[in-house]
Amino acid sequence: MTLLALADWRSWAVMRRHARVYLRTWYIGMMPPALEPVVAMLAFGLGLGGFIGALVWHGQTLTYLTYLAPGLCAYTALNAPFFHALWGAYVRMHYQRLYDGLLATQVELPHMVAGEILWGGTMGTMFVSAVVAVILALDACGVLHLPHPLLLPLVLPLVFVMGCAMASFALTFTAFLPSIDHMNLPAFLLAIPLSLVSSTYFPVPDGHPLVRLLLAINPVHHLAESARALAILGAPDLHVVWLLLSSGVLLAVTMPLATMLLRRRLLGG
Amino acid sequence: MPSDLLLEATGLVKHFAGRRVVDGVGVELRAGMVLGLLGPNGAGKTTTLRMLSGFIAPDAGTISYFGRDFSAARSATKRLLGICSQEDTLDQEFPVAENLLRYAGYFRPRVEGLRARVDELLDTFGLRPFAGHRPDELSGGFRRRLMIARAVVHRPRVLFLDEPTTGLDPQARVALWQLVNRLRGEGLGIILTTHYMDEAERLSDELLVLAEGRITARGQPRTLLGAVLGEHVAVYATAGDAALEERIAAWLRAADASTPAPIMDEWHLPLRAAQLAAFAAAFPALALRLREPNLDDLFLKLARDGEGAASAAALAGRAP
Repeated sequence: MTLLALADWRSWAVMRRHARVYLRTWYIGMMPPALEPVVAMLAFGLGLGGFIGALVWHGQTLTYLTYLAPGLCAYTALNAPFFHALWGAYVRMHYQRLYDGLLATQVELPHMVAGEILWGGTMGTMFVSAVVAVILALDACGVLHLPHPLLLPLVLPLVFVMGCAMASFALTFTAFLPSIDHMNLPAFLLAIPLSLVSSTYFPVPDGHPLVRLLLAINPVHHLAESARALAILGAPDLHVVWLLLSSGVLLAVTMPLATMLLRRRLLGG
Repeated sequence: MPSDLLLEATGLVKHFAGRRVVDGVGVELRAGMVLGLLGPNGAGKTTTLRMLSGFIAPDAGTISYFGRDFSAARSATKRLLGICSQEDTLDQEFPVAENLLRYAGYFRPRVEGLRARVDELLDTFGLRPFAGHRPDELSGGFRRRLMIARAVVHRPRVLFLDEPTTGLDPQARVALWQLVNRLRGEGLGIILTTHYMDEAERLSDELLVLAEGRITARGQPRTLLGAVLGEHVAVYATAGDAALEERIAAWLRAADASTPAPIMDEWHLPLRAAQLAAFAAAFPALALRLREPNLDDLFLKLARDGEGAASAAALAGRAP
């Protein structure tokens, strides 16, 4: 039932509020996602890539930079919503007391949670749009050699879904961690491992059953591979299904959990 | 149900951590009425307010607004409630006028003529000069004004004011009283909690006094004072004469009168007219000064009664 809140006008009203705050300074807010892939591609792609040389992916020989670029979409789609729902939501809840003000209106707790999640998905999509734009520009300049660069924007709807799931996942921790300093725990113990075991920066060897399991349940891995399939193979593959499945399950589990924990924290019951 | 009855709550009960913090409280609120909710800290005021405004659900009891069960018509009812909490919960990201505009966006049906409504509130609450300022640039008094203006931007019919003037200087308090009075004149039903007894007395049409989660007194301020305290408060000093204090205490017990409240070097004793004459006759050497009782006396008496009951309960708990 909590998932139905995602379609309620009150959730979208909360989401619009966050969007309006963000868009006042969009030119500053969009700098990290626009610059981060440039920095990452310079450091890892050109720098580290020079030592790596070529690698084989799905039978195709790629430069490391070509392998890395679509993966950065997945990395950004994890980071932006996750950290927004971790630190950003905590500041709104604890320091700005925004949630107390919203709960005095027709907005109920599930709508507030859904509003945070929708904004996480939207923010992730905006950030990845900037990353995609940079990748397309670099490809046009001949720095990258993507066979099907114009298919890369098709990844954006998938980014929205995964962004919502990641925001919901992070909000679960925001709901019960006692202070803002504790937010480092899920950031370092979950977000970073999720981004590493994901084929974002390098192909993860999947010989061990545990690694295969981690890859199977990690939406970041499926998004990285989906982005690569679109831009390099020119068609989506089964990772799209796995991405929707893993994100859906994550959302279905963590959204009610975050709502319950926030209810206990904010309303004492 | 009379047509002007906005809120009717009966038998409200709430437990926290196994403790019954609200115990059988009933509330009625009519249009154009200010109901003052009084009581010492921990009396159950805020919990009662939070149940009535929908933040928490009661463990037992019923709440109905406009003749409809609150839980059955929650969203439609919340459209007609305005809530001004004790703490500032203003949206710090938006300036004053936009705070009002944005807040109205959390209500459906939408506020008719919203721009005009915001303009009207900016003028009424004296916020026009600060329309473009962020809330954290306002003084405490103007932030409270903005909190109340925001709570009524969607034209509610019931307004909750939780300690609206705490921490304000006298001038700002008087300005807020005038605004509350104006809202009452517009037909809003207002539930007010406050620690300032003069505020409760000036603003409230009816008082509801809570102690230990129960209603200990209710009624119009003057009637309530007369019923609970009597017509007079005798003020006297004993200069630390323990024997005299003991004699007075024995006399008061025998006369079934209130116990006096020690304030600085004096005792303040609420008495009925007949008790006053007898008291003056029993202690002719005592220099008595008389004044009318006020809500401070009522508050102190209820607090003393509460302490007495707690002490008695503690003693009973220790008894073998």
